[in-house]
Amino acid sequence: MRRVYVIGSALTKVGRHFNKGYKELASEVIDKAINESGLESVDLVIVANMLSDSILDQLDISTILMQNLGMTKVKALHIETGESSGLAALEVAWTAIKSETAEKVLIVGVEKATEYPTYKINKVYSKVLDYETESIRNITPPDYAALIMKAYLRKYGLKREDIAEWPVKMHENASRNPYAQLNFKVNHEKVLNSMIISDPIRLLDTFPIGDGAAAIVLASSKETGSSKAEPVELVHTSSAVSVQVHLRDDLTKLPATAAVVSDLRMKFNEKMINEAAIELHDSYSIYAYLLIEELGLAARGEAPKIINELEFINVSGGLKARGHPFGATGVYQVAELHKLMTSGLAGRRFDGKYAIAHSMSGPDYNARIALLQRVI
Amino acid sequence: MRHSIPKFWRKREGYYQILLTRCKTCGRIAYFTYIKCPYCGSGDVELVRSSGRGVVEEYTISYYRIEGAEEYLPRIIALIKLSEGVKVTGELVDVDPSEVSEGMEVEAVLRILSSDDPHGLIYYGLKFTPIIKGS
Ligand SMILES: [Zn+2]
Repeated sequence: MRRVYVIGSALTKVGRHFNKGYKELASEVIDKAINESGLESVDLVIVANMLSDSILDQLDISTILMQNLGMTKVKALHIETGESSGLAALEVAWTAIKSETAEKVLIVGVEKATEYPTYKINKVYSKVLDYETESIRNITPPDYAALIMKAYLRKYGLKREDIAEWPVKMHENASRNPYAQLNFKVNHEKVLNSMIISDPIRLLDTFPIGDGAAAIVLASSKETGSSKAEPVELVHTSSAVSVQVHLRDDLTKLPATAAVVSDLRMKFNEKMINEAAIELHDSYSIYAYLLIEELGLAARGEAPKIINELEFINVSGGLKARGHPFGATGVYQVAELHKLMTSGLAGRRFDGKYAIAHSMSGPDYNARIALLQRVI
Repeated sequence: MRHSIPKFWRKREGYYQILLTRCKTCGRIAYFTYIKCPYCGSGDVELVRSSGRGVVEEYTISYYRIEGAEEYLPRIIALIKLSEGVKVTGELVDVDPSEVSEGMEVEAVLRILSSDDPHGLIYYGLKFTPIIKGS
């Protein structure tokens, strides 16, 4: 079967880009990624975006973007699966190349989340939950993160301060990443005294609202682009859906993530996850701890003890500090891992063989995973 | 105008009382009026009315501001285990946040969920309130 290679990637700093719209942000990363790939053109463009309808008053964003960038000879489509839209776009692109319906695919993740005050963004972001059973009754994503965090603390007899290390580590990583939204450092005290969002979730347990764009070029041939010397192959993509929070027997488990991790374990060797560089979806710090346990990097309830032993985890600073431009985040993760494996990211370079991007929407309502492999 | 009459009206039964979906295939019961069993996908389901009473399993006091519900801060969002053994998430009202605890007995009450601009539509739905002993 055909292979799929990452031959170019580009990203812009996540933040408040008041002077740029989504077209400007997308255009910049498209030019850079295409330039790095060495390609003249692509067959297919996939745009990952979550809030174009709610925030930009724009439907069919992929068509409008192509019209504005003089790319009307290219097939284009828009993918939205909530917060994991970026990895969903990658999944579709991977399938298109594997099935020989495309050879060169450009994936663009773009989000403009700072066009309105935060309370309006909070409202539309909460639509990743089920409107008819959850959002209509004013239940929001941080509320679920809080319930899950309390269940975790209770189950393993931990205190709130036992899980304050993650944001500290993420801000430390982000302070070296030029593409990160928050590049200041924090300590335990700051985390534990920051504003309450949904108790015990505090401001520094969660992501900042920001705009961003990232792009990736995938191709069936590695004989071109930035990866020519060190080709990186996209060897696997997968996704799963889970039941709503109130239907779960154990709140400390993330069923969709468990399914994609189990799939990964079956197809590749068990040890691979332990040796990989990982970008995971830490929209709330409690999720980082649960994800580390779902990935098998720590036993249940033990993640707080090993946070600082994990070297190549969210080198970007994660959603926590790099930022979370919703639909673009998955594309950021893959672009960051591609850089980390080739030219370097945040002053670091990863020489290992595998890199994993993990993304999810809401409290693990869907989870997606992508596996990159160095080809030597 | 964000509120829609038909969108709400067709679900009114499930918004004004706690209806559970009981699956005749896998035997599990789930909160809300699902078309098919959310656990196994079976269409062989029936709706059962809940007593509306239960106990708080977990709760959070939320200051997260969302458009249209700004005046209801802080919100107390709880995961409640109904007497039928089924869990439901919902808002707790008529109680001071400092008085909420796990294990607290609560029952469903009808309240305003949100309203459009001052002269617009109002959505009503179920929230939960502590059961006062002896009442
Ligand atoms: Zn069933």
